[in-house]
Amino acid sequence: MSDRAENTLLVLPGLLLLALAFFVPIAQMLMLSISGENGPTLEHFARFLGDPYYLNVLWRTVRLSLIITIICAALGFPLAYIMAHVGPRTRLWLIVMVILPLMTSVVIRTFGWMVLLSRSGLLPEMLRSMGLVGRSYAIMQTELAIVIGMVQVLLPFMTLSILGVVTRIDTRLEEAARTMGCTFFAAVRTVVLPLAIPGIVAGSLLVFTLSASSFITPNLLGGSRIQVLAASIYRSVTQTLDWPFAAAQAVILFVGVLLILVPYARLARGGRNG
Amino acid sequence: MADVRLTDIRKSFGQTEVLHGVSVDIHSGEFISLLGASGCGKTTLLRIVAGLEGVTSGKVEIDGRDVTGLPPEKRDIAMMFQSYALLPHLSVAENVRFPLRMRRIGSREEQAEKVRDALETVQLGHMAERKPSQLSGGQQQRVALARAIVSRPKVLLLDEPLSNLDARLREDMQVELMQIHKRLGLTTIFVTHDQEEALSLSDRIVLVNAGEIEQEGAPEDIYARPATGFASNFLGAANLLPAEVDQADDIPIARLADGQRLELSTDVAVRGPAVIALRQEDITLVAESEGMLAGEVLARIYLGARNRYVIRVGGTEIRVLSGTEPVYEGGDKVGISVAPERMRVLAEQ
Amino acid sequence: MVRSISPLTRAATIVFVLLTGIFLLAPLIVVVGVSVSESQFIAFPPAGFSLRWYGEVLGSDAYLSAGFLSLQVALLVTVTATVIGGAAAIAIHRRGIPFADLLGTFFLSPLVLPTIIYAIGMLVLWSTLFGAVSMLTLWIGHTVVTLPYVVRTTLAVLSESDPFLEEAAQTMGAGRLQRLWLVVVPQCRPGLIAGAFFAFNISFDEAVLSLFLRKPGMTTLPVQIYGQLEFSPDPSVAAVSTIMIGITIFLILVIDRLLGVQKFASS
Repeated sequence: MSDRAENTLLVLPGLLLLALAFFVPIAQMLMLSISGENGPTLEHFARFLGDPYYLNVLWRTVRLSLIITIICAALGFPLAYIMAHVGPRTRLWLIVMVILPLMTSVVIRTFGWMVLLSRSGLLPEMLRSMGLVGRSYAIMQTELAIVIGMVQVLLPFMTLSILGVVTRIDTRLEEAARTMGCTFFAAVRTVVLPLAIPGIVAGSLLVFTLSASSFITPNLLGGSRIQVLAASIYRSVTQTLDWPFAAAQAVILFVGVLLILVPYARLARGGRNG
Repeated sequence: MADVRLTDIRKSFGQTEVLHGVSVDIHSGEFISLLGASGCGKTTLLRIVAGLEGVTSGKVEIDGRDVTGLPPEKRDIAMMFQSYALLPHLSVAENVRFPLRMRRIGSREEQAEKVRDALETVQLGHMAERKPSQLSGGQQQRVALARAIVSRPKVLLLDEPLSNLDARLREDMQVELMQIHKRLGLTTIFVTHDQEEALSLSDRIVLVNAGEIEQEGAPEDIYARPATGFASNFLGAANLLPAEVDQADDIPIARLADGQRLELSTDVAVRGPAVIALRQEDITLVAESEGMLAGEVLARIYLGARNRYVIRVGGTEIRVLSGTEPVYEGGDKVGISVAPERMRVLAEQ
Repeated sequence: MVRSISPLTRAATIVFVLLTGIFLLAPLIVVVGVSVSESQFIAFPPAGFSLRWYGEVLGSDAYLSAGFLSLQVALLVTVTATVIGGAAAIAIHRRGIPFADLLGTFFLSPLVLPTIIYAIGMLVLWSTLFGAVSMLTLWIGHTVVTLPYVVRTTLAVLSESDPFLEEAAQTMGAGRLQRLWLVVVPQCRPGLIAGAFFAFNISFDEAVLSLFLRKPGMTTLPVQIYGQLEFSPDPSVAAVSTIMIGITIFLILVIDRLLGVQKFASS
């Protein structure tokens, strides 16, 4: 057997698996999204894009995802910076702290927030006792709850993404800036931040995509009145059993994500040259 | 041990030909060095003998048998890599045993015996159970050597094995290699870019230049009589003085670029444009009027036990190694003398 | 650490890290807390201390069969993802096939696509071809989703390994199979272990795919939990969740024993 034959044999099972069990289903779904009784049709897309209710769902999904991404970036960057600059033991603990939530199921984490944010939950209680809100204030079933839950779920992704880049930034650059008169924050802003952009962008892409396509957390924390796109898809599949419509929504989701990703990716490339 | 014959080896990578018809005959038990600069093709040649590269055309024979198409595992060879290539997940002893396992040499007990012997030869018997990561660079090198000799291959191939070691370790290892070769008598092909290494270890040197063999022969022969400017330059920091060789009454006279004349020994046959090669250590500095040539000192480099001088003569700069006395400084005029038999006159290429 | 920062900044940093830490870990702590509550209502801080909910979980057919299914699938997926992904990573690393780089990206593609889109596709395709979903569907779906992780960790380990080991093995007389099994696979070992860990963990915790690819009587544990959360949760949900968290922590400890968490975290 030649070298090439051996390697082909090694890669073949994976190749077949992905081709048949990943790409074919995707293709199938694409076809389903344009399937109608009399042949290919765009009626499902039209139905979605023509209905203000669904457009609202789409807008809400995008809006929330942007907010979540921005918050994650704002929290993730300082966290990653700190993690990159502490001693190895502390960093280990911080990594565990960040990874542990990642390795538990999303339903469990969401459940935890359900408890915390419900009417009798800890958070509203605290706010109530500080006199900030009224008696029946609940964070559950609001967009705020969704944002809080999602940020907790997705912050580790952002942090690890930025961490990978920040650890590779030469600390001497920062030190040089300090010796040239920058304060600590100015040094971070002018030296570290620009160099960390690739990590921030990568993390943002990841967080935005995950956020736009998630339904478990929004469903449980937002309730059925506040629908996001993925939740609508889930409902179309399992409740109304309108599979072509679900497929169309999925395609819209995918396209929507791409539309946001492309300029972002351009930004990354530009950031590298700038 | 066995002889190795390479016949008209040509090798191309894509469109680039890196070996242009190389032929070498290596006798059984010989220690031969492939010497050359980076990129000259010497490592490619070694890998072809190993079977790690194929040939575009040509033939490789080991012990009279044509092995040209055979993969490495079917050739009775052993190779020592520049980066040691020890298997990190196995102990030192298991590493050394590996070729015996693969080539199915001996029973378990016999293998253990050979491993012990090989490790003793490189003085690492006490490290048998350690992992490679626990060893220093020099120790890893010796394990790689033990692993290469344990199977008593027909041909032992060494790819710049000492270049990662510091000077002191290198010298020690060179001595060990010599002793092992003397003891075991394996046919050995040694690749290096270091001429001193090649000179001290080899029975024969093959000087490789840009995919061709520039010169081959015993170390003393090549060093004393390099056939070309390249050979001369490569082996022992030579000074090269361009000259025009004329004849006056059967005596060859070299006329240098600055007009000076030098009488050459009568057995110099070269006429016309030529290059005179002089070694640093062969030149003596004397008073200006007493030398064969006159030059001007440009710089003195203090080396502790010696001085090195950069001297302008014959239209070019030469380097001369001299003792601690007398001391010349920049600007001094000085005389240069060389024993005639120490001058190599090479036809201009 | 950049030492030259003001004490105020340092204090702020510590506060920030603490708050973020609490934020990240709060839900998990809450869940564990609720699981030992005595009362029937879900509340945190818990009222009283009782392990009765664990008893309920362990006595519940629904939870046990869901847990068993999750475990089965996760184990099967670990095996297939590790073997298939490891083999592919080896072939790609060796660049022994045309378009090795492209293939590398190809194998990572399930990571890029939102799981929900894949889930629909899988459901539709399977239903069209085979009718009702089964454990096989879950097995295949989870393998597809976890495969990229194995490929990535294995490639990462291989890229750090000595590129001459295979050649050295050849010169030592090792044949093709011997090279693969005695030299290459041991090289991959940390990557394979890390990948296997990811595969198991992801499969066991996986909720999105499993929500689409389910049928009555065949639900995985996360799906079971989700169902309860949608309607009538009592602290038994918390107990099950805590058990799952415990399994995760156990796995981390095992990985630490085998690999060291430092090395693992960098992957």
